[in-house]
Amino acid sequence: MGTQVKDVVIKPDAPSDLLLDKHADYIAAYGSKKDDYEYTLSEYLRVSGIYWGLTVMDLMGQLTRMNQQEISDFIKSCQHDCGGISASIGHDPHLLYTLSAIQILCLYDNVHILDVDKVVEYVKGLQQEDGSFAGDKWGEIDTRFSFCAVATLALLGKLDAINMNKAVEFVLSCMNFDGGFGCRPGSESHAGQIYCCTGFLSLTGQLHQINADLLGWWLCERQLPSGGLNGRPEKLPDVCYSWWVLASLKIIGRIHWIDKAKLRSFILACQDEETGGFADRPGDMVDPFHTLFGVAGLSLLGDEQIKDVNPVLCMPEDVLDRIGLHPDLLS
Amino acid sequence: MAESEEEVDVLVQRVVKDINNAFKRNPNIDEIGLIPCPEARYNRSPIVLVENKLGVESWCVKFLLPYVHNKLLLYRQRKQWLDREALVDITCTLLLLNPDFTTAWNVRKELLQCGALSPQKDLYLGKLALTKFPKSPETWIHRRWVLKQVLRECFPPEPDRKEQVGGDRCNAVERLRLGEHLHRVLHDEIKVCANAAGRYPSNYNAWSHRIWVVQHMAQDNLKVLHDELSSMRQWVSMHVSDHSGFHYRQFLLKCLVGALSLSPSSSPQTDARGLSLDCQRRLPQQVNGEATAAGSCPRSPEEQPLVPAVLFLFQQEMELCTDLIQSFPGHEALWCHRRHVFYLWHHWRRDHDHHNGKGCQSPQLNHTDAGLICHPRVASPGAVRLDRADSRNGPACESQDAMEVDGVPDPRDIKRLKRCLPGPPVLPSEHGFVASILDGCRSPEQGRFALAYRKWLDSVIGQ
Ligand SMILES: [Zn+2]
Repeated sequence: MGTQVKDVVIKPDAPSDLLLDKHADYIAAYGSKKDDYEYTLSEYLRVSGIYWGLTVMDLMGQLTRMNQQEISDFIKSCQHDCGGISASIGHDPHLLYTLSAIQILCLYDNVHILDVDKVVEYVKGLQQEDGSFAGDKWGEIDTRFSFCAVATLALLGKLDAINMNKAVEFVLSCMNFDGGFGCRPGSESHAGQIYCCTGFLSLTGQLHQINADLLGWWLCERQLPSGGLNGRPEKLPDVCYSWWVLASLKIIGRIHWIDKAKLRSFILACQDEETGGFADRPGDMVDPFHTLFGVAGLSLLGDEQIKDVNPVLCMPEDVLDRIGLHPDLLS
Repeated sequence: MAESEEEVDVLVQRVVKDINNAFKRNPNIDEIGLIPCPEARYNRSPIVLVENKLGVESWCVKFLLPYVHNKLLLYRQRKQWLDREALVDITCTLLLLNPDFTTAWNVRKELLQCGALSPQKDLYLGKLALTKFPKSPETWIHRRWVLKQVLRECFPPEPDRKEQVGGDRCNAVERLRLGEHLHRVLHDEIKVCANAAGRYPSNYNAWSHRIWVVQHMAQDNLKVLHDELSSMRQWVSMHVSDHSGFHYRQFLLKCLVGALSLSPSSSPQTDARGLSLDCQRRLPQQVNGEATAAGSCPRSPEEQPLVPAVLFLFQQEMELCTDLIQSFPGHEALWCHRRHVFYLWHHWRRDHDHHNGKGCQSPQLNHTDAGLICHPRVASPGAVRLDRADSRNGPACESQDAMEVDGVPDPRDIKRLKRCLPGPPVLPSEHGFVASILDGCRSPEQGRFALAYRKWLDSVIGQ
């Protein structure tokens, strides 16, 4: 009986060179199609979309092609009275977009255009008794939001605003027998959640709480014969999961455990030679999200045409140098 | 075709109305979908109702979505007033087209808080959205919020409940009614999860929601846990690649083992039925009519926890896992499941021996058969009989296979179990299992997974 391994086959004519100019053109043009139906459909995550586009442009040394004034004004208009930031004007504030907004303004070195104290109050107000964080005032709990909270505060130099011991305790309660983490206690390990939790533990100086060998093992098992990484057992490889797994491995000092050359060729094969940009898998439609994680992944793999990326915050290292933020990594 | 702004306005308002009328006409709509149709057909509504399926012709979506989208945002910015009914209609249309529009769900939360919407109506809208977008994170998030409202309604926070606890007759009746209501909500919710899990493989959001539901509505309810484990047995056997489904089984197993291992002396909150008061508050046992598994199980304080029942669970699970690995070679999810189950078993045994200060080969068994008999929901060994010859063709063919799940355990099984304890495998037998798989293995993946499992046994368990 034949076994069908869930994976992709990389065609011989798939792109194998990095097409940076095409990607920069693709991102620069993306925001100009504002009447697009697709653009409306994705408005609920606009501020994060801007973060993906700006970060990948900065990593490629092309940040100046984006309209700083327009973007800054937009972000400012998304801050609400409670201090939180929403995905777009008229939407409700949420931790996800609060982090993206702070990341954007850090790239531009103009965080001060927001009421920073209110942002800190907002984040602080979302911490629950058990140490977890709600994503917004409606109370959904997820380890992703724990990451958003500490990443926002770390970028603002205000980590002391929250109950750190409790926050750590909650994230550790989501650790599983395989060394991974899920969204809540008892939930399945998932590469995206693992990225958030290892990033959280890095920012809070608690990486020693991780069983790096066990987690590294699970993460390495995400690599498929095509070289791409998936986010859970028997799922297809994906450029964004490749980033989350790779960044987690970097944080826990086990990046050398995977086949880097094969992963590089998988990521390169996900480029669209005509339109520019990266897709989740070879041949699929490109988008800014996978374009950022494709380029950031190549940076972690050591590509010298791209700026160094920080694995915890997915931002250029030079930006973090400017802020003086250097999250822990295991060696 | 409508072109001018005014024409679009008129058209879209009619479509929004058509959609909401369709729901009024047929309250049993159970699925939504897009009908590929690039051009409008003259004088015909793009909303099509066939039996219980609601379809929207694709040509109208590019008018419809921006319209309801902008309308809601104008309202949110206090630039345009909308009454409650209009808000209900607009958010409904918007969320059926774009269910991750968080703010639209938030508007509905506010409508629910002021009584303009019922929790049932909102759970229904989410259920429909999930038929087309089974992963939609925001839809699942909203459901959890609504369920929390339902729970709060059934069990007001401590201070308000104080007077009720003394319990006159009236309160008891009311509590029973609420319990039944909650049981129905739980049952429906599990069905929504199962449906979404069937529509998208390894649906993380659906399965983590199901875990949340059990944790918040039935954490220590042995009957619910047993029923779930029992129904999942068939499901995982037909979805051998779905790691999330197996993880859910691991979660249930852990809950069950935890509940069964609670020794009476260590949990003062536990009553004669072996159920914590907390869990009865959440879902009264008696709502299910007949006495349930745990309900009929007498236990004296000096008795051990339900050791045989725990052993039985682990043995069953390892047998199922062995069966599936042999029948469906090369599935990573199955090998991951084996790791977790063996890990749980290994640690349970270690902790148990530690507490008893006994050797690990013979957990103390002063419990009688009652331990098992009072858990009829523990499926008996081999209760699921797959016709091996047929099932070789793959999971798709199995649905026709005769399947016998559940029932009272065969007394012979209990005897067998008592005679040859411990039932579940120990480390050497796991190595034996790996060797037997590798012996004559023709699937390279199966070989790879078996070797990885052996390495895992050596380095994680055997250290
Ligand atoms: Zn992806």
